[in-house]
Amino acid sequence: MTVSEDMRQDELETPAARRMRLVEKYGVFAVVILMMAILSFLEPDIFPTTQNLTNVLRQIAMNALLALGLYIVIMTAGIDLSVGSIMALATMLLAMVDTGGLPWPLVLLVGPLVGIACGAVNGLGLTVLRLPHPFIMTLGTLYSIRGITNLVSGGRPVSGVSPEVRFLGSGEIPLPFLGEYASFPVSAIVILVCYGGVAYFINKVSLGRHIVAVGGNPQAARVSGINVDRVLLIVYCLSGFFAGMAALMMAGRTGAGFPNAGIGAELDAIAAVIIGGASFFGGRGSVLGVFAGVLVMGLLRNGLNLMDVSAFWQQTMIGMIVVGAVYVDVLRRRAGAAS
Amino acid sequence: MIGKRLTGTLAVLAVTATAGSALAQDKVALIMSDIGSANPFWAAVSQGALDKGAELGVDVAAVGPPGGETDVAGQIALIEDQIAKGVKGIAIAPADTAAVIPALEQARARGVAVIFVDKRADMPGTYIGTNNIPAATLGAQHICDNVPAGSDVAILQGIITSTTGQHRAQGAREGLEACGLNIVAEQPADWDTAKAVSVTENILTANPNLAAVFASNDNMALGVVEAVRNARKLDDIFIVGFDGNPNAAEAILAGDLEASVAQRPYNMGQMGVEYALKLAAGEAIPDEIDTGAILVTPENAAEFK
Repeated sequence: MTVSEDMRQDELETPAARRMRLVEKYGVFAVVILMMAILSFLEPDIFPTTQNLTNVLRQIAMNALLALGLYIVIMTAGIDLSVGSIMALATMLLAMVDTGGLPWPLVLLVGPLVGIACGAVNGLGLTVLRLPHPFIMTLGTLYSIRGITNLVSGGRPVSGVSPEVRFLGSGEIPLPFLGEYASFPVSAIVILVCYGGVAYFINKVSLGRHIVAVGGNPQAARVSGINVDRVLLIVYCLSGFFAGMAALMMAGRTGAGFPNAGIGAELDAIAAVIIGGASFFGGRGSVLGVFAGVLVMGLLRNGLNLMDVSAFWQQTMIGMIVVGAVYVDVLRRRAGAAS
Repeated sequence: MIGKRLTGTLAVLAVTATAGSALAQDKVALIMSDIGSANPFWAAVSQGALDKGAELGVDVAAVGPPGGETDVAGQIALIEDQIAKGVKGIAIAPADTAAVIPALEQARARGVAVIFVDKRADMPGTYIGTNNIPAATLGAQHICDNVPAGSDVAILQGIITSTTGQHRAQGAREGLEACGLNIVAEQPADWDTAKAVSVTENILTANPNLAAVFASNDNMALGVVEAVRNARKLDDIFIVGFDGNPNAAEAILAGDLEASVAQRPYNMGQMGVEYALKLAAGEAIPDEIDTGAILVTPENAAEFK
């Protein structure tokens, strides 16, 4: 789109449409800032401390990585329900090979590799078996991979993961100038690198742009020569890869592989992507928005925990925020159609 | 307050916060392994903890992970957030025996007293909960008091690889043997009602003179009731369960089940707060504290419905 076209578009846009476009683009960041302001006001002695703010970063690490994988999937108008189970299997297997004596540099590869392998199963089910919707394939693997996790572990946790393997998930960089226990989590740096990498991939790499094209209009993408099946296979492998990265975070935080890891985590990840403004119909959404969505959920949980609010409220409010976020999307489309 | 005017959501935040911020008191956290009051067991534990807090003038937070029993990550976040709040002590029922260890070690490293309630993690620390061996013996003694010495009796075990399953089976066996009853069968039915029905059918076939059954949980006890009812022996066989669940209480009131052994979750909550504070104050506390068990019979079953 050229500059002049852009201007013409702006002139044609109704004030309502312009407002909604702004809400869509920046609304979720406004929510993050508003939440931080309110929590600082309500819990001035606890919320804005270094310890608590870095706690929020520690607590969102797993959901941030799962949501990043789901963001790529949702960009293609797909869904991946199996990421929680993939994370559990990857955590369990890496804990088992680590305690079994495999050198730690190889153990670090186990998480992502297990994730990619599981993602490939999802992708092949979709493109080779031609199952009608990724919901079905990944619902199947949600159950099967959880079952395999229990089979390999006998349903028991495996503890004693080595410090080297735990570093990415639980390493701390001391910040002695900010207080006795102040430190910055290594996991936050992992998140930063992963988000930066995906943003670059989606916007600057041709394969990444193909993903967006497939999500926006698969028919047009196919006609313009994009191998849609190959793109989808890679998309589900990427989702699995980030679930494997989340497994490294989980193993770091807990020092263990345990069979109930990540039950329901796929729903938190989907909620974060939707709150972050990605469209369920594919083709639209930003990496930064997803991160803001993850932060909204992390801040809500942290804030309600600090105020000892019952877990029932957390569920209720996350549900309301998901619906609210999608309603904003609906309003935007309506305003866009009216102009 | 700005928050209240903005949206209903924010108003909830604001109201709960003003209600929660009391004066600077000692704080203790009870961190449950389930979401809390949705489950009658945990509702009683948290009530006990809150009442003890009110009695001692201590600020008690009774919280559980939002994702329920399997939300280990949510429980770890709760531990971190309670440390950030500056609690003196944490009484916790771990959602996983291994995964919560690093977070609890961090709590101890920062001077927070940590004890276990109902279930312990694989790390040192005081455990407050039901000792299943004497509790099962209590149920067995009730059978002894109600059937003639030398009668044939059977024990239905839970999942026998679990410590709970082993302890309840052991306590029941010891109690029944001590009063001279003749144990003709000890079989696992894996805590499951349907399995308990078929296991009981087989035991009844092999032992027509069976006088009593001890089932290691109420779900299995209700399965025993079904099998015995089908065999038209409900009036002849004395059945005791374990857990004091509401549906078992109803079966006791209906006369199908004779009794059940109930844990005392309210005591667990009270002692959890009490001993976390003692430990935080530097007192030496025992390694294991039995909160005891109580028999549910037709006299008191209404309280357990």
